[in-house]
Amino acid sequence: MNVDYLQLLKLLAPECVVVLTVLAVLLADLQLWRNWSVSARSFGAASVLTLGFGAAAGLLIWKRAVTADLLGGSLVLTPVSQHVKLALLGLAVVTAWLCTEGKFTQHVGEFMALIALATTGMMLLVSTENLLLVFVALELVSLSLYVLTAFNKGSARSAEAALKYFLFGGMAAAFMLFGFSFLYGLTGSIHLPIIAAKISWQAADPLTLVAIVFVVVGFGFKIAAVPFHLWAPDAYEGAPASAAAFIASGSKVASFFILGKLLQVGLPGVAGSGAWKALAPGWMAVIAILATASMVFGNLAALAQSSLRRLLAYSAIAHAGYALLGLIGGSQSALLYYAITYAVTSMGVFGVVAVMENRAGSESVVGLAGLRERSPLLAGVLTVFVLSLAGIPPLAGFFGKFYVFIAAAKQGEGLGYWWLVALALAASCVSLYYYLQVLKQVWVVPSERPGQGGVAGGIVVSGLLVVLAVVVVALGCAPELLLRFLK
Amino acid sequence: MKGIINSLWLIPALPLLAAGIIALMKRPQRKPAAALAIGSMALAFLVSCVAFVATLQPEAGKGAVQLTHNFAWFDLGGSALRLGWLLDPLTAGMLVMVTFVGSLIFIFSVGYMDHDENLTRFFGFLALFAAAMLGLLIANNLLFLFMCWELVGVASYLLIGFWFHKPSAAAAAKKAFITTRIGDLGFFLGIVWLYHETGTLLFYDNGAGCLEQGALTKLVTQTTVGGMAVSTAISLLLFCGAVGKSGQLPLHVWLPDAMEGPTPVSALIHAATMVAAGVFLVARVFPLMGAATADLGLEGHSPHTTALTVVTWVGACTAVFAALIAVAQNDIKRILAFSTVSQLGYMMLGLGVGGPAVGMFHLLTHAFFKALLFLGAGSVIHGSHHEQDIRRMGGLRKLMPITFAAYAVGMMALAGFPLVFSGFWSKDEVLHAAMIWSPSKLPFLLGLFGAVLTAFYMTRQMWFVFFAPRAESASSPGRAAHSASHHEPQGASSSPHESPRVMTLPLVILAVATVLLSLFATPVWPWFHAYLGGQLDHLQVGWSADSAAGLTMLLSVLAVALGVSASWRLYSRGKAGTDAVERLFPRLFRALQGRLYVDEFYAATVFRLNAAVAVLSDWADRFVWSSVVELAAWLAKGLAWLSRTLDESGINSGFDAGCVETRGAGGFASRLQNGQTQRYLRILGAGVVVLVVAIVWMGNN
Repeated sequence: MNVDYLQLLKLLAPECVVVLTVLAVLLADLQLWRNWSVSARSFGAASVLTLGFGAAAGLLIWKRAVTADLLGGSLVLTPVSQHVKLALLGLAVVTAWLCTEGKFTQHVGEFMALIALATTGMMLLVSTENLLLVFVALELVSLSLYVLTAFNKGSARSAEAALKYFLFGGMAAAFMLFGFSFLYGLTGSIHLPIIAAKISWQAADPLTLVAIVFVVVGFGFKIAAVPFHLWAPDAYEGAPASAAAFIASGSKVASFFILGKLLQVGLPGVAGSGAWKALAPGWMAVIAILATASMVFGNLAALAQSSLRRLLAYSAIAHAGYALLGLIGGSQSALLYYAITYAVTSMGVFGVVAVMENRAGSESVVGLAGLRERSPLLAGVLTVFVLSLAGIPPLAGFFGKFYVFIAAAKQGEGLGYWWLVALALAASCVSLYYYLQVLKQVWVVPSERPGQGGVAGGIVVSGLLVVLAVVVVALGCAPELLLRFLK
Repeated sequence: MKGIINSLWLIPALPLLAAGIIALMKRPQRKPAAALAIGSMALAFLVSCVAFVATLQPEAGKGAVQLTHNFAWFDLGGSALRLGWLLDPLTAGMLVMVTFVGSLIFIFSVGYMDHDENLTRFFGFLALFAAAMLGLLIANNLLFLFMCWELVGVASYLLIGFWFHKPSAAAAAKKAFITTRIGDLGFFLGIVWLYHETGTLLFYDNGAGCLEQGALTKLVTQTTVGGMAVSTAISLLLFCGAVGKSGQLPLHVWLPDAMEGPTPVSALIHAATMVAAGVFLVARVFPLMGAATADLGLEGHSPHTTALTVVTWVGACTAVFAALIAVAQNDIKRILAFSTVSQLGYMMLGLGVGGPAVGMFHLLTHAFFKALLFLGAGSVIHGSHHEQDIRRMGGLRKLMPITFAAYAVGMMALAGFPLVFSGFWSKDEVLHAAMIWSPSKLPFLLGLFGAVLTAFYMTRQMWFVFFAPRAESASSPGRAAHSASHHEPQGASSSPHESPRVMTLPLVILAVATVLLSLFATPVWPWFHAYLGGQLDHLQVGWSADSAAGLTMLLSVLAVALGVSASWRLYSRGKAGTDAVERLFPRLFRALQGRLYVDEFYAATVFRLNAAVAVLSDWADRFVWSSVVELAAWLAKGLAWLSRTLDESGINSGFDAGCVETRGAGGFASRLQNGQTQRYLRILGAGVVVLVVAIVWMGNN
């Protein structure tokens, strides 16, 4: 095979810059800034990371119209993948700045470096059609996230959460690798288009079915779909807020992208169906089951939560269920719009959580009581984010749901997937209860201790939260702003 | 230069931003608010000038510059709702006028509203109005235009009712809003119909817009009720909106009452810009109005379609009707208000008989001199301590020299003094176009009669305000009706004084502009026509008019001379404190003073009808419906008893159980999560097995 290495380097330049950023952050923090205070170092590290990622983003924008397929599908670039990478970089930068709001660690340089490493993994994940590379990239992401989860070394809960996350992730990865090996055994290739060409439906071939289920397990773990979600509440609760935000946002965007690609590019012949009265074995049926379980289970379990972070974890599970509808609908743009707007929104909520924990020391829903008076700014942005999660127009969350529901409703003939859409709508109604409970604390319930001091985040984080809120409103008012980059 | 179209949105966005920021300001932050509003308007003026320059270079042979920038707002199913900006000479000219006059009026307001404690709010509203008006001008989509149109209406409502503690102001605001809504109803129906027929509301969209050949051909060939072409029907519906907004007969009643607002508002909204929006609308959709089966082009003269004929007649009647009423008014602002109605009539007449260039030129010149007159009136009112009755003024010529000079320029422009005043040329063009209009000569005669009246009432006003011997405040007999709008008790203040410079400077600038504008549309150098028509490169200096033009000019000069001399003779010889015309024709004068009783007519018909329907509804409500309701209530009570019995025993407990179940399910769901990793992994394994089994089972069925 003739490889044009120069070409490869050019196309991988953004990823290379991100890796260089990892080294730069480590060098600066461990060598140059030894004597600085922690907060100064975290600002410094976040700035270095922002600069490096800015450069990578510049390269991406410069090459955003590229279409390439190198090394037998190992590196596949399209304008959409470039845009998704831009979104990932943006989410990572926000995460880095959120990290400055929290005093959980002395080792900010390593924390930032791990964020950058995970970002590298995500960027590779969205630019390949090779099963082996998918696995390697996914492991890079997962391993980085495990360590990020454990980063609050003073907290037993953080360590416990990371261990659970790690064990669960290890088992899921094992299933996935098993599934990949089945696919390789069935088709003799690890390149998605070739797999697609060779695999087709032979009447209920159990081996194919097992392979499909195993592959879905691995990604079901990443996106926290029921019944592979069990790590999520613990990880969300124990991890540092910025790490949890990253798990909830960047990791999900990349995973949804590659899951969609794998199923729609690699396995279109064995889609099967989960449509009303037209069940047929295949991944559509599996996804439909996962979506149903996630929406029902996630929303119900969220009703009973008192911790804000666990509530967000179950809400994330429910949202994974909605997003799977986009996968069934077969609309990449709807799925990505949903995943990205959801990522931005949950990034914002976790930002508020970080400020609340850091400045007011409260992490329960009840702890938000009287936020209206304690911090109008936080109350305002939190309202925007929560309403967007609940899917209230004209916020981004509404259009995200709208597009995936429409995509699913159009799929299939006759009643098709309307049953799933109806279920999703009912589940959304249930979800309003717990979202509005949060807002009730913010706006209606008076503060427990009158005269309790105000809460205010650092100026950078407050600024970021306002920007995120503006993005949520803007994308809701004009979805085309984002949507046209995803088509 | 052509790239300006992509930044055209800046023009309305700047004042909108200012309005938003001012809305967040506190009441004492008066200076920042005023500075912000004026600054945003000045910036918008600069951008408008750039846009204007961009329209000055038409490409050879392609007619007027027409730049559009369309984009999708959002998708709905298979269709996308698309908005856009449009830049053509019509838009550019209006943009420059609105931002220029607007800036001056904003500056004037700083002085005029100096004593008002809500200055901050005032500037917020003004900026909001400016944003909406400018958005209306750049819209390339009828829906967007309509949205801005309504926003303009809201801003006008807020500003007319700015002194809402006065009941008359609150009532006037309500009246303005509701009356224009009546017209808007037709407008909106027209929009819906147009969308139904053409599937787009974009004006210009590379041949697919609703004002372009394709859509027009389709619209004129279809017919509807009574054999009327669909294009005519839609045009008439759209014209309803224009009638409401531009105060044409029969919906003119709100405009004189709108003078309850602060004078700068009257100048900006109810004389120069907003009321002209209706005229602008007609000019904008002129291709639709003028579309006829045979002749779609605009070659030299305006086509005689039904829609345009209606526009012509409404305009001509309004022009004379309002001018008649203006003769007998005593409130300085109300005279100007009726004169505005009358001049808007002229604009409509001009559009109907002569096409956009004729109507729009009168609009532009009128905007300048009417703003000048209103600001002058504002200066007079301000200087004479909120006195508005012209019979109690007098002699201000010496006391307020700058205001007098500026006002005189405005008055002569409005009356149509020949040669150096822009009003003369623009009105002359309207009359000329009416004269050569083939279907009927009556509109021309009406227009000429209106010109006589205009000269008459303006001279009367000038005489009373500036020349008459100064009346003592106590000597004015009877009729204190108009003193309701006074702010301060009479007689408590010293003699009138000249206004501060911040108020006189805009006056002077506007006066100069009024004179200079006359250079642009004389028959010697018809620049404005060529500009709107996109024929600037064919423009030549020289006498280009026909013999009819000379005759028209002569007639209109005679009309002005007649009006002025008659008025001057009557009034300068009259006794102080009484009205010469009143003495000669007491009954006519009273009828005119009562505004020909249109309001009373509406009160007697529309309101009475409304009240009758209300009484009928009330009666039906009480007796017919309530008995039905009683019956239903009886039934319902019976059913309720039944269902309560069922409910308490059956459903209630069922629902409660359901809720408990849901919460319980939540509890169960979260209890699954007991924190033990071993169980997590077991569930994962079990999940895989269940999925595999389920899917294999599916395959076997």
